[in-house]
Amino acid sequence: MTTSHDVIAERLGKSEVFQSLPEENLLEIAAFCQEDVYQDGQVIFIEGEPADRILVVERGKLAIEKKIQLGRHSTPRNATIAYVNPDQIAGFSTLTKSQTHSASVIAVEPTRVCVIDGVKLREYLSRHPEAGFEVLTAITSLVRGRYQSATNTLTYFLSIVSHELRTPLAAVENYLQTILGGFAGELNKKQERMLNRCVVRVTDLSALISDVVDLARMRPEQIQADFEWFDPGEVGRESIEDTRLAAAEKNIQIRIQPPAEFKPIVGSRRRMRQVFTNLLNNAIKFGPEDSIVFFRAWYEEEHLIFLVEDSGPGIPPEDIDYIFTDFFRASNVGDSPGAGLGLSIAKKIMDAHNGNILVENLTGKNGAITGSRFTVQIPLNLSTPEMRRREWLP
Amino acid sequence: MHENLSILIVDDDPDILDGILMILESQDYHLRTARDGVQCLDLLKEEIPDLLILDLLMPRMDGWGVIRKVRNDSRFGKMPIMVLTTVIEDASRRRYELETGQAMDIQAYIEKPAKPAELLEMVERLSQWKK
Repeated sequence: MTTSHDVIAERLGKSEVFQSLPEENLLEIAAFCQEDVYQDGQVIFIEGEPADRILVVERGKLAIEKKIQLGRHSTPRNATIAYVNPDQIAGFSTLTKSQTHSASVIAVEPTRVCVIDGVKLREYLSRHPEAGFEVLTAITSLVRGRYQSATNTLTYFLSIVSHELRTPLAAVENYLQTILGGFAGELNKKQERMLNRCVVRVTDLSALISDVVDLARMRPEQIQADFEWFDPGEVGRESIEDTRLAAAEKNIQIRIQPPAEFKPIVGSRRRMRQVFTNLLNNAIKFGPEDSIVFFRAWYEEEHLIFLVEDSGPGIPPEDIDYIFTDFFRASNVGDSPGAGLGLSIAKKIMDAHNGNILVENLTGKNGAITGSRFTVQIPLNLSTPEMRRREWLP
Repeated sequence: MHENLSILIVDDDPDILDGILMILESQDYHLRTARDGVQCLDLLKEEIPDLLILDLLMPRMDGWGVIRKVRNDSRFGKMPIMVLTTVIEDASRRRYELETGQAMDIQAYIEKPAKPAELLEMVERLSQWKK
């Protein structure tokens, strides 16, 4: 029994979290450890369940998996975010306040571990604050490393996504354009119509890839770094230009009601254009043919307000709280293309501007929905990076 | 008009090359192709084309590398370069500037997919460039 404690203490001493503890502590902790073996594929911890054990891997390998769900209705899937190799630990949540696993842990090969009783370890560390401090410092580094690796994975994933997905798509688009241009022989009307549909669908897919990449890069500080003075009227006109073709296809008229005079404001010019274009595109997508989309703007005391109004089917009341959520698509959108990212991108942009984006359904006399209205509130007191720098000068 | 304008097209994707060739073959051009930057430089040594159509993301040597070599070699001074790529123009120019400290000296930048009419028009325009 004593030998076994010695062996376990020695193993703990090699591990990333316990290596800085003196032998005395290691021996005492070893008293509430036991060895265990997990088979390939065995689920050891489940995300969200109570955490009461820490595992130190002796031999083999564990995978740390996070549940990922896109939208409310899709099937959740597990993504491996890290592996735990010999002398590394799993189950640090045992020492956190919530004491629930932040991820699931699965053995990816037959794995021998040393299992530490979490309840006893917590008691022990609270009675031995110096050891507690060492262990928690090590855990902080561990979490920091996992966070860094998650960020790296995301960045890597995005660069792969944008290139690896766009490349084959570009080849398909290239062929489609070549065929449609008549460079591979004459086309009959039917073939031309179908190929034109292919172009539309491929273009949508291309836009989706750009949106996914864009969304993940959209951190407030990145948007704020672009803040500059710009003429909001000019940006509004550019957005109308962006959507003119889509509007013409459905014979939708964009009726503008600008203020008497546009005054320059501070914000991200490029991102603001994206917000207006997204809202106008949505209004055109869901507005009926031959209808009118209103695009109004006016100044209030502390905000510049832009408003986009359509006469489409509106948003089902049960969905209205979710429409700014990533990948959310309202239940009444039917076959309309889109991944449900446009509004969540717009929301993130407005949040970075300390602004707001609001939605409401328009109702007729009998209470029936007659359209939707999106209101964008842009604060008038934003600063460019240069202005912020100057504020700090003595 | 030109007389048998010679064009070297460089892209690692055979399908992209195939599509571009099909468009350019509609005209009376003399066309050659390369699959990466190294092969491109080999072909440039044999014969300097009237126009280089260049992809950026390629194995062995990428398009930025080709531009850097070509623009530092007086033999190719007058050869116009058209970049044809999936990389966004801003990002691409920034990367070149960061790596070389110089602005990217190219005569046209087209983001894929190129529309056939746009591609042909640009080729015609660049064929006049060095004259």
